[in-house]
Amino acid sequence: MKVIEIKDVNKIYNSTEIKVHAVNGVSLDFDQGEFAAIVGPSGSGKTTLLNLLGGLDLPTSGKILIDGEDLSKLKSSQLIDFRLRNIGFVFQSYNLIPVLTAEENVGFIMALQKIDRKEREERTWSLLKAVGLGDRLNSRPAKLSGGQQQRVAVARALASRPKFVLADEPTANLDSKAAKTLLEIMEKLNREEKITFIFSTHDPRVVKMARRVITLEDGKVISDEVKKQSNDPENG
Amino acid sequence: MNDFQMAWRNIWRNRRRTLITAASVFFAVFFALIMRSVQLGSYDRMFKNVIESYSGYIQVQQKDYFDEPVLDNSFELDQGLLDLIASDPNVKAVVPRLESFALAAAGSSTQGVVVMGIDPQGEKEVSEVHNRLVRFKLTDEAIKALMNETLPERTKKLLKIFKNEAYTGTGRLMLDMGLSEKDTSDVLPVFRKYASFSNYYLEEEDSMSVIIGDGLSDYLGLSIGDTIVLIGQGYHGVSAAGKYTIRGIAKIPSPDIDNIVVYMPVNTARKLYGAHGLSTSAVIMMNNTDEKSLVATAGRLAEVIPESLVLRSWKELNALMVNQMDADNKSGMIMIGILYLVIAFGVFGTVLMMLAERRREFAVLISIGMQKHKLAGVVAFELLLIGLMGVMAGVIASLPVVIYGNINPLRFKGQMASMWEDYGFEPIMPTLMPDAYYLWQTVVVLIILSIAIFFSIRKIYKLNVIQSIKA
Repeated sequence: MKVIEIKDVNKIYNSTEIKVHAVNGVSLDFDQGEFAAIVGPSGSGKTTLLNLLGGLDLPTSGKILIDGEDLSKLKSSQLIDFRLRNIGFVFQSYNLIPVLTAEENVGFIMALQKIDRKEREERTWSLLKAVGLGDRLNSRPAKLSGGQQQRVAVARALASRPKFVLADEPTANLDSKAAKTLLEIMEKLNREEKITFIFSTHDPRVVKMARRVITLEDGKVISDEVKKQSNDPENG
Repeated sequence: MNDFQMAWRNIWRNRRRTLITAASVFFAVFFALIMRSVQLGSYDRMFKNVIESYSGYIQVQQKDYFDEPVLDNSFELDQGLLDLIASDPNVKAVVPRLESFALAAAGSSTQGVVVMGIDPQGEKEVSEVHNRLVRFKLTDEAIKALMNETLPERTKKLLKIFKNEAYTGTGRLMLDMGLSEKDTSDVLPVFRKYASFSNYYLEEEDSMSVIIGDGLSDYLGLSIGDTIVLIGQGYHGVSAAGKYTIRGIAKIPSPDIDNIVVYMPVNTARKLYGAHGLSTSAVIMMNNTDEKSLVATAGRLAEVIPESLVLRSWKELNALMVNQMDADNKSGMIMIGILYLVIAFGVFGTVLMMLAERRREFAVLISIGMQKHKLAGVVAFELLLIGLMGVMAGVIASLPVVIYGNINPLRFKGQMASMWEDYGFEPIMPTLMPDAYYLWQTVVVLIILSIAIFFSIRKIYKLNVIQSIKA
């Protein structure tokens, strides 16, 4: 079942002197439950493609359909609402809300969705437990390590029960142990709950773990490889 | 977590910045309120002084008298009309007056004077003439006698400086003589012995007596018991002339009036000017003196007075003073405007810093699904909370100062006091009790905050999410 359809998408940035073709005629599909990595050198268009998928940016031409809904047809406020209900985000620098505790950061998304308090508390608890932070519910981001903050960010991304999660370089700021723990958690959630994860990454550990690797260069897809091997990062 | 809770936590993220911003609002509100209360309190006192010592709140006049204040524009004021006016529930007192000009002579000196015919008893409810009678006068003889008494050296020096000065009470006398309260019991009896001034207020039956201003008495060289001659033009051109005994000398704070005023019973003035039964005005004092009550009373009185008469409000009667105060008020408002401009920049500085600091956070919140209007609401709450903290603290801190200043006005002493009195003002600076001006200061701060909030909301709506996430 296709969750995302990208049809001949182009993104051109017109700066004052030069035109930058950040995404160049990309066409891709993503199915439910994929664990995919978008790789490529700096400036290859990974983050731009992720921004387009997340509805943070609109393509210059082409179409992006999420569950059949054309993102370019939505108004700004509809796009925000669409992201709230369909897309989870994990950022490189965690970007948790500093004044909220881990529990509140995760519950915040559900509060925006107007989910009732009891359900919110139960889901927050189970998500934080799933990412191994069941004992840090009341800690604010400043009291958590980078790895713990990123795990809270993953829990937050999953809180709204999104159709897919976009993770932009999620392990870039983590040490190897924290990165391994985070990847294992995401892989487990993907495997057990069929949550679609799409990463942009330079990290070979993420690439090894991904079941599909899309390589970009100069904004074009130069390879799209579906792997059959084990997902265990230790064995890759 | 609701928007308010989130805003509350956000404002304490940077405790020092929040406190500095709230403090800047606090000081601006506090000083603006104190400045305004002193300014408005002084105006209030000055207006009350003029109203209660001369003009009254409303005067009944003949239609043309205001533009052409001559006896020919006087009117018949019978007891029936006075009773009718006095029957209004808000009228405290109503007294007739007959005012005109004359030439005063004593020996070889002459001076143009204002003759004020007043109802001696009724006028006590209106003006302060009976309280302005001179009680002490430093005449040559008094100073000579005082110099031989045991007085502080500085007082003896000051006696020469204040030669011929008149005093209506002991307070100003003590100040001018450089005496403190502890000297009062020793020194005051000495002044009472040598510098006391026998003085009497007008009595209706004593129709040939007058009270004159202290300045006029000095100029004409007249004292109690002396005779003053008045010559002028009476009603419809009749000749007006009369000889009067000086019964009292009053020290009027305004030198312009002090140098030319002659008070006499209204019936004596009517005889002098051949204006029997006539008055140039009926002065009305009120119980409730707020603007709304004055307008309502004027409305009721307008219906009972004859068509040939009109009512003049104290503002019309004291137009020059009202305009002077208005100009002074505007300059005060400019000062307060500058004060608020300074805090406006302070608040904007905070807003700009906050927006720059949290740009990425805003972008993340919008990315994960927070609508811009909701985010704008949280930021607006934050600014409102900081502003209201400052406003409330400023209002609360100013209240005891303003109330104390009203009950115990700042009192000028020495030269400063003399200067104020020379200008015809009481040498005190009272504050005005909290009133509508408190609300206005709060409204001004809220307007500044609204502009800052509008600016923040605009920034949030124009936020470039992708660029801001990278920031």
